[in-house]
Amino acid sequence: MMNECIVGISGINAVDNPGPGVGLARALRDDRQLKVKIVGLAYDAMEPGIYLDWLIDKSFILPYPSSGKEAFIQRLAYIKQSYGLDFVFPNLDSELPLYSRYRTEIENLGIRLFVPEPEQLRLRDKDRLPDVAERIGIDSPRTVVVGSFRELPGVVKHIGLPVMVKGAMCSAFKAHTEKEAADFFSKIVSQWGYPIILQEVVKGEEMNVVGVGDGEGGLIGQVGIKKMWITSLGKIWTGVTVKNRPMLKAAETFVREYQWKGPFELECIVDGDTVYLIEINPRFPAWSYFAAGVGVNLPANTVRKAFGLPLTNGSDYEAGKLYIRYTYEAITDLDTFQHITIKGEN
Amino acid sequence: MSRLSKLAVNAEGFVFDPDFGDVFTVNLTGLSILDGMRNNESPREIAKKLKQEYDVTLEEAEKDIFDFNSQLRVHRLL
Repeated sequence: MMNECIVGISGINAVDNPGPGVGLARALRDDRQLKVKIVGLAYDAMEPGIYLDWLIDKSFILPYPSSGKEAFIQRLAYIKQSYGLDFVFPNLDSELPLYSRYRTEIENLGIRLFVPEPEQLRLRDKDRLPDVAERIGIDSPRTVVVGSFRELPGVVKHIGLPVMVKGAMCSAFKAHTEKEAADFFSKIVSQWGYPIILQEVVKGEEMNVVGVGDGEGGLIGQVGIKKMWITSLGKIWTGVTVKNRPMLKAAETFVREYQWKGPFELECIVDGDTVYLIEINPRFPAWSYFAAGVGVNLPANTVRKAFGLPLTNGSDYEAGKLYIRYTYEAITDLDTFQHITIKGEN
Repeated sequence: MSRLSKLAVNAEGFVFDPDFGDVFTVNLTGLSILDGMRNNESPREIAKKLKQEYDVTLEEAEKDIFDFNSQLRVHRLL
């Protein structure tokens, strides 16, 4: 057993559109046998996780991934040298390509990762969903990739209304009229560029599965949930564990077929025996503490797997466990804010 | 295993479907019918039981069972 493991966690922005980081920190703390120090990897001094010192021992500001590989890796090297960093959970979509592409260089610094390879990462592109869904034995809504505004009316007519208008990576809107579809199309293009994905709206229950693949075709664990209540941003506020066999089987097949390495979330719509794949997220979702809370501590087991330690955090759970998110306030002095703003670390 | 047999049902009539995460509540009559169906009793056997428990005619009990079945179909539990 290792003495102490220093784990870096990004996505500690526990705000109205929360990142997964704070939940992951809680999950790691729950594994009493795993001696961890937790480093918050933030992009803004106002990320709440920086101030939650009972969960996160120390925080650093990172340069944005868009500032390039050199600055990013230099900062990780600095953290490794000055404080120590043995493992990193990248939890944000924007930073995953960097960690995936340069994982060898990062691992050469002595920082272990458990992330998908670049080719695996591309599976989450929305234009690949139909192929992935077919390969793992489930359905997907009719999906058309649109490369120009001129194509839009014809595709809307082909799919029918209402229709989902999505960016290739981010943003999704439900359009009820052709004009709405055109407005959403322009909005996404101006923010994220082409291509735009138009997708059929399917009926059913919104269910998700979080899991971790071991990179050899096996699952480290998985938990299925149904969202019972969501916020205006579409984020889960109340949920319940489910054991929807077709959905869980699809997740098993996904990990086996693609030899998936690392955390993932499959977003699905389930209508009776039909499961539609809506989205693949190649990281932990913000509600990941739910899994740890029902006995499947995926973050702790991921660290254990990465360091060759025995997996002791359960692989099964009960259906019917409830998840309730709530708001909380932390009061602190200005010192932490001052340090993180001026020095980039607290 | 049928969806009906997988349901988690408590004595107060709270019903949870572990496959789909749906929750339902049923009254005492519904609970008796559900118990009977989950024990593979025939509609006639369940109706006889309802007749004894709730002082209703066999016809009334059979109508209740028919209505309850319709509700189960609406929720895709049958």
